[in-house]
Amino acid sequence: MSPDLSCLVHWILFLPLVVAAFSAVVLRRAGTIAAWLSTATAFVIAYLAWIVLSQVPGDLVWHVKLASFGQMELGFGYLLNAHARLMLFVVSFVAAWIHLFSIGYMADDEAKGRFFAGLSIFMFSILGIVVADNLLMTFIFWELVGFSSYMLIAHYFDKDFAAAASKKAFITNRVGDLGFILGLAFCLQHFGTLNFADLAAHQPAGGWPIALGALLMCGFLGKSAQFPLHVWLTDAMAGPTPVSALIHAATMVAAGVYFMARIFFLMTPEVLEIIAISGASMAALGGLCALAQTDIKKSLAYSTLAHLGIMACALGLGHPELALLHMTMHAFFKATLFLGAGSVIHGCHHEQNMLQMGGLLKKMPITATAFIIATLSNCAVPFFAGWYSKDAIIEAAFHGHHYVAFGLLAIAALATCLYSARMVRLVFLGSAQSEAAEHAHESPWTMTVPLVILGVVFSLAAGFATSFLIPANATVSIAEPLHEMAFSFTAPATWVGLLSLLAGWAALKFYGIFPGKDSLQVFSPRTYHLLEHRWMDSFYEWYLQKVQRRVAEFIAFLDLLLINGVAGRWIAAGIPAVLGYFTGRTLHRGQTRGYALWIILGTLLLAWCFLAR
Amino acid sequence: MEHTTLAHHLILAGLLFVIGLTGVLIRRNLLVVYMCLELMLTAATLALVAFSRFNHLMDGAVLVFFVITVAAAEVAVGLALIVALFRQRGTVQSDALNSLHD
Repeated sequence: MSPDLSCLVHWILFLPLVVAAFSAVVLRRAGTIAAWLSTATAFVIAYLAWIVLSQVPGDLVWHVKLASFGQMELGFGYLLNAHARLMLFVVSFVAAWIHLFSIGYMADDEAKGRFFAGLSIFMFSILGIVVADNLLMTFIFWELVGFSSYMLIAHYFDKDFAAAASKKAFITNRVGDLGFILGLAFCLQHFGTLNFADLAAHQPAGGWPIALGALLMCGFLGKSAQFPLHVWLTDAMAGPTPVSALIHAATMVAAGVYFMARIFFLMTPEVLEIIAISGASMAALGGLCALAQTDIKKSLAYSTLAHLGIMACALGLGHPELALLHMTMHAFFKATLFLGAGSVIHGCHHEQNMLQMGGLLKKMPITATAFIIATLSNCAVPFFAGWYSKDAIIEAAFHGHHYVAFGLLAIAALATCLYSARMVRLVFLGSAQSEAAEHAHESPWTMTVPLVILGVVFSLAAGFATSFLIPANATVSIAEPLHEMAFSFTAPATWVGLLSLLAGWAALKFYGIFPGKDSLQVFSPRTYHLLEHRWMDSFYEWYLQKVQRRVAEFIAFLDLLLINGVAGRWIAAGIPAVLGYFTGRTLHRGQTRGYALWIILGTLLLAWCFLAR
Repeated sequence: MEHTTLAHHLILAGLLFVIGLTGVLIRRNLLVVYMCLELMLTAATLALVAFSRFNHLMDGAVLVFFVITVAAAEVAVGLALIVALFRQRGTVQSDALNSLHD
């Protein structure tokens, strides 16, 4: 532990909080100043995080005890191991560029001060999760992240769908967090500590209980939008596009994966099996559903679901390093995709329907280039960033003899190429399908610079940079599948990848058949409708209306009958009524002094009862 | 007067408390009642400080700071209520405030 480095972490963590408070209090009306201040802060943090990543030799540990309530200790501390340092850098680096992008994107917004204060408070929360050294602190920042996500989704709160989407995100996350907090209680009950380091040091003889891992997993399912709590993520696209890029693609949803990697030692094989299967299913489902979305951001949101599923599957297969690697790569290319989408939406005067776009390659060349490079990375074209992690995970599934996960991941890889091709075909190729796309224009430099940096540089080069980006202890376990895949064309992952790319090439042609329409919808409306993925929401609707509501009404009836009726009306109201009947109105004189006297006499009586014994 | 003991302090606190209590019970002006209530609180605080001092612990003294702070906030609220009451009813005599009885 060195004092100057923990001081550095203080700066990283608290600078955004100070800026957020300052913006919220002082700069409400001065949105432009708030925007630049917040962006400058984000870049300073990214620089500090880079120092931490590159210059801290070992784990950085710092802890202070704030308070203790009986057994529970409220501690505040940092545990920066290799994973945390990587995550710290990725989050702050991607966030800095997204801040810059937001300046251009939100230029005409009236509530810029609130928006950038929100981004800063989000930075504070997510960095808190990254550095936290105990479960309770993680939980507190976890909730703060939920709050800031809620606030930013509801940025256009005067629109009904945005208000509804923010509520949906918040409530769905609460369902997962219930499991999380029960997990905390369980952990405290059985192990008496919530500290990661203490927990890791005291593994019980019989292994960790399944319940602990399963409960903590619930928090992950909510935050990382895994089945069955994935429904909020696609609706969360109602927020401004930079928010979708930062929170709902690159960092917040990935925080769940990060958290799982951090407490990976608590997971039992049974829990891992669930995570692997549900993650792989989510990957396949998300990828396929992305095929049937007309809103460009929704399509990307399903793609995010698919990638989160892939990360979850990597966790479940017992490769947290691979999950983190994919999280890093995904953060770069998915942030680019979302920013590209934002740039397209901005250029097309807030048109989000892909079927209304087309031919934007010539009108927005920089955006198109960055978007297509990020797409190639998304499709795991060899030597692009996504290839290193995604193919490694598919390969890991095959090597782990987990053929179910392998099959589902192969479907996901195929679907990824299909929806990516569809997106590129509908948005950038062909001819303009609407007035808005006809008059599209390239975005200002504040938007294109982040696209170029994140897209062209990092979606391409992050793979080459892995040798120093991946934590040193992780390279050992990654190296084997990575090598086998890179140098052998017979590796199954390579075949899956190549076949998917071929299918993607075919899809590029397929979606050009009917201009202005979705080819799949024309050929098979039923498949398309199924993939639109309305059924999960319908199921929840049915569950809430027909099951939960009935139960709640029954409980409300019991409450009315027993608490209000029997206990309230008969017992609690009955005793004074009987007393009053016998004493007349002597007790009830309406005199304050009289009541004071009764209070004093009552207190003396109680004191006598307790003290005289 | 050099030999003040804990008992002296406690007797003083007790006297203050009883004075306050009597005031609360017999006075009719809400403002005076309120002052007497504060006197009771002060008496309790004095006892706390006395115990803290004679036990050579700082805990009580520190707690008193919080008590005083909270009491200040509470006084502001209470006075505001009395002012609001006066505006509403034109009186702060507790005898006149008996509409609950009817």
